[in-house]
Amino acid sequence: MKIRTLFVLASCLIATGCVTSTVDEMVFNEPLEGIGDSSVVILGRRHASDYETEPDFIECVGDHIASRDKAITVIGELEFINALYPWFEPRTAPLHPRDIERLLAQQPVAEKMSELKTEYMIWIDGVTERTDSVGSMTCGIGPGGAGCFGFGTWNNNSKYEAVIWDFTDQAEVGRVNTEASGQSYMPAVIVPIPIIAPVQGTACDGIGDQLLEFLSSEY
Amino acid sequence: MSRSMIIAPEFRLLLLASLALLLSACGPARVVVEGKFPEPLMEPVPLKMGVWYGEDFAGHEFHDEAKSRSESKWIVKTGQAQVQMWDTLLAGMFTELVQMKGEPGADQMNPVVNAVLIPHVDELQYTIPTHTNINIYEIWMRYRFELVTTGGEPIAQWTMSAYGKTPTAFLRSKEDAVNMAAVMALRDAGANFATHFTRVPEVQAWLEERGALTTEVPL
Repeated sequence: MKIRTLFVLASCLIATGCVTSTVDEMVFNEPLEGIGDSSVVILGRRHASDYETEPDFIECVGDHIASRDKAITVIGELEFINALYPWFEPRTAPLHPRDIERLLAQQPVAEKMSELKTEYMIWIDGVTERTDSVGSMTCGIGPGGAGCFGFGTWNNNSKYEAVIWDFTDQAEVGRVNTEASGQSYMPAVIVPIPIIAPVQGTACDGIGDQLLEFLSSEY
Repeated sequence: MSRSMIIAPEFRLLLLASLALLLSACGPARVVVEGKFPEPLMEPVPLKMGVWYGEDFAGHEFHDEAKSRSESKWIVKTGQAQVQMWDTLLAGMFTELVQMKGEPGADQMNPVVNAVLIPHVDELQYTIPTHTNINIYEIWMRYRFELVTTGGEPIAQWTMSAYGKTPTAFLRSKEDAVNMAAVMALRDAGANFATHFTRVPEVQAWLEERGALTTEVPL
């Protein structure tokens, strides 16, 4: 039984491609005591015409922070933008911390923000792209069975930047950049075996760890 | 003889089902746009606003004939979602929203309101990844609004654009992606309308005349 478990674990490790990742960080006014009972919201920038920061990535970073420090309340992106509609849509979202003041001049918005206790707003901009796909695979089906034969490989590159806004001081207090890349493979001899490099997941962990260091008193 | 008579109806049924399946695979992709639209968080404009949706608007749909095999045929019905979004938005934007019984005009019996808004979709364009080679579904709409009195006298007329995009994602069908892009375009239309309504010069002049111009909306 143990051997079988070890074999499965070893197979999983082998079936994971390699990823290289770098993280840069620059922060000011770190809350040394943590953020108390205030909350944090993580939002994706969606202004670019040729890409869109993936909602899944935003959710991943939020889950990363909330699962490692239970004291931090992370408001879901959709919940936040729905509660403050139409002020955080791609067309209307504030681009600079100084825009917060104009937003809070609207009484219903100020009341909602106060209710949500949002202390930090984190904007993430970036995308994971697939590049350099090569190879080919042929699959067939016949009376005797089905199968595939071939080989494919591709690169994934992730590049994200998180900008931290202090909502009370209406100022930018930090930036975290992460870049990750990795090559995935798919050999197929009858059965395709995907060996996927967890590029986006690594970028999520990288940016999540740095944000956690900023927000949490325990890290 | 009797055996063939027993088998024949079952076989015919199977043949019909197979034919229906084959025909449905060749037909256009059909999407009835569905989504949830939040209420706007803003100080309501002190007006009793009427709204009239023409048949072209309430039953709005767009379709495109395929130009090559790689391009899909689409029939996208947006009418129901348009009415749902505008009803939710206008109900939150004005102190009172009244549905008109007929198109405003001298001979039409309608409830008395300050003004009636008549939206139209003048143009709709879309792109899918096979058009652009970018992994994004996009929808662009141009609206035309008429603001008239209960008797049909024009107060203002203006146009407005709306845009929505969504990336394709693993395990998401192209129909889901088009639906999501349409929902994003509708949300953008709501955001654009809510933040610009009081800035339309003719509307602004009319509101000033009535003393109904509220606080400045931030942009």
